[in-house]
Amino acid sequence: MIELKHVFKRYSLGTEALSDVGFSVARGEMAFLTGPSGAGKSTVLKLICLLERPTRGQVVVNGHDLARLRPHRLPYFRREIGVVFQDNRLLNERTVFDNVALPLLVAGMTGDEVRKRVLAALDKVGLRGRERGFPLALSGGEQQRVGIARALVHRPALLIADEPTGNLDAALSDDIIDLFQEFNHHGVTVLIATHDLRQIERLQARVIRLGEGHMVNAA
Amino acid sequence: MKAYLTRHAQVFMRTLGDFARSPAATLLTVVMIGVTLVLPTGLYVGLLNLQRLTLGWQPRGSLSAYLAKGVPHATVIAAIRQIPGVASIRYISPAEGLRAFATSSGLGTTAVVFRHHNPLPGVAVVTPLGTKPSSVAHLAAQLKTVPGIAHVQSNLAWVKRLDAALALGHRIVVILAVALGLALILIIGNTTRAAVASRADEISVVGLVGGTNAFIRRPFLYAGALTGGLGALCALILLEAAFLALDGPIAALDRAYGAHYHLSGPDLSQALGLLGLGALLGWLGARIAVGRALRSRRI
Ligand SMILES: Nc1ncnc2c1ncn2[C@@H]1O[C@H](COP(=O)(O)OP(=O)(O)O)[C@@H](O)[C@H]1O
Ligand SMILES: [Mg+2]
Repeated sequence: MIELKHVFKRYSLGTEALSDVGFSVARGEMAFLTGPSGAGKSTVLKLICLLERPTRGQVVVNGHDLARLRPHRLPYFRREIGVVFQDNRLLNERTVFDNVALPLLVAGMTGDEVRKRVLAALDKVGLRGRERGFPLALSGGEQQRVGIARALVHRPALLIADEPTGNLDAALSDDIIDLFQEFNHHGVTVLIATHDLRQIERLQARVIRLGEGHMVNAA
Repeated sequence: MKAYLTRHAQVFMRTLGDFARSPAATLLTVVMIGVTLVLPTGLYVGLLNLQRLTLGWQPRGSLSAYLAKGVPHATVIAAIRQIPGVASIRYISPAEGLRAFATSSGLGTTAVVFRHHNPLPGVAVVTPLGTKPSSVAHLAAQLKTVPGIAHVQSNLAWVKRLDAALALGHRIVVILAVALGLALILIIGNTTRAAVASRADEISVVGLVGGTNAFIRRPFLYAGALTGGLGALCALILLEAAFLALDGPIAALDRAYGAHYHLSGPDLSQALGLLGLGALLGWLGARIAVGRALRSRRI
């Protein structure tokens, strides 16, 4: 599902964020990407959803060699994956419903189908009944769950999450990670960047370790 | 197809919602566009009125053919009738000419002197079919070759001057329309640029979840077309108000000159044309601005 080969990334001005990073995540697998702050976790996720391009090396996601993806295909590629951001990137002037509906609307879905899917997604993350509210009226954990509902509403085969529990207390973090695990049991491939070692110990998931842009374990 | 229309209708309604949320800014832009459009439109409609007015003044480019003395006028009239391109002929006999002269000159009684010896020739007033100066000139040349016609006088110079003046007026309207059409594109382009900037977050999130550029552009294009159309509507209202204000003075002129001239504002097709043009230019301005903004995005 995800394959990085000899990936280097140097930002236009500054440090080499990644040097010779390589790993793969199989279809249906759940894995944690970990390492200290500044190790390059976010950079790896940005390369996977094509928010950044590698300086050198190959990134293959869901069968697409990203270097060869034509620009006009980029939106369609993005619809194959679901992304959860650390700062959740919700639209604060739109209702919870509208935020979650966005991936369906951009794909051209309308009417009852949108309604059904959005309510089902909110049900899964335990926010059924909150669809008319606005994000700023929700707690941090609830906002993060809206972000997760938005990442899943269009049923992507791959879910990637950048520090999804970064701002949450331990109990809420457990809930969120359990949610990811449940999706994984339903066949979704999951890659979570986190430095929350507690979660890694709690679950028996695979761990990919980065340290200062290098692979620490090549498992 | 139904889904496609539903989608467009939804975006359109959302655009209206955005307008309702910032009524002051929208109103300002609309009025600005209205004022921009009212000048060339007003000039154009004014020019059409002028054209209609001068058409009423006199049969355009009529020719006066003066008959030679002692020639039977029926023969000459028959000969003129043979010339292609003649719309109508009106014969003014020497007696009629004298009577008209007597009345219009105010020399009613003095003209009696000429009762036994009328010095005026018969005149055939010939109206050509074509109104272009060249066709009038051609007819004049042909009339000169008709036996029995001593002299042909045309109003050609006057016609040419009027045509030149009207052509100049049209040219000025076109130049103004182009310049102010560009101004409209710039006004809406600038408004769109600001709207895109203020919604940068939303645009980036829509991009992240797989929205195409067309999807991102759509609400801005609707807003641009709607602003342009409303601006045109504003121009029509201003224009109608101006014509209403001019109606009184024109009516007074009417009475003074005994003419029957009615000032007419833009008709329905002109009004619809202006609305369509405003919407089109607004769409274009928005398209250019949002296209530039999207191209400057990374990846
Ligand atoms: N947009 C950027 N421009 C320049 N340097 C960056 C940018 N993003 C990240 N970096 C640098 O790349 C390195 C890796 O950052 P990041 O991938 O965010 O690490 P992590 O998510 O593991 O904390 C850091 O040194 C960071 O300063
Ligand atoms: Mg990070």
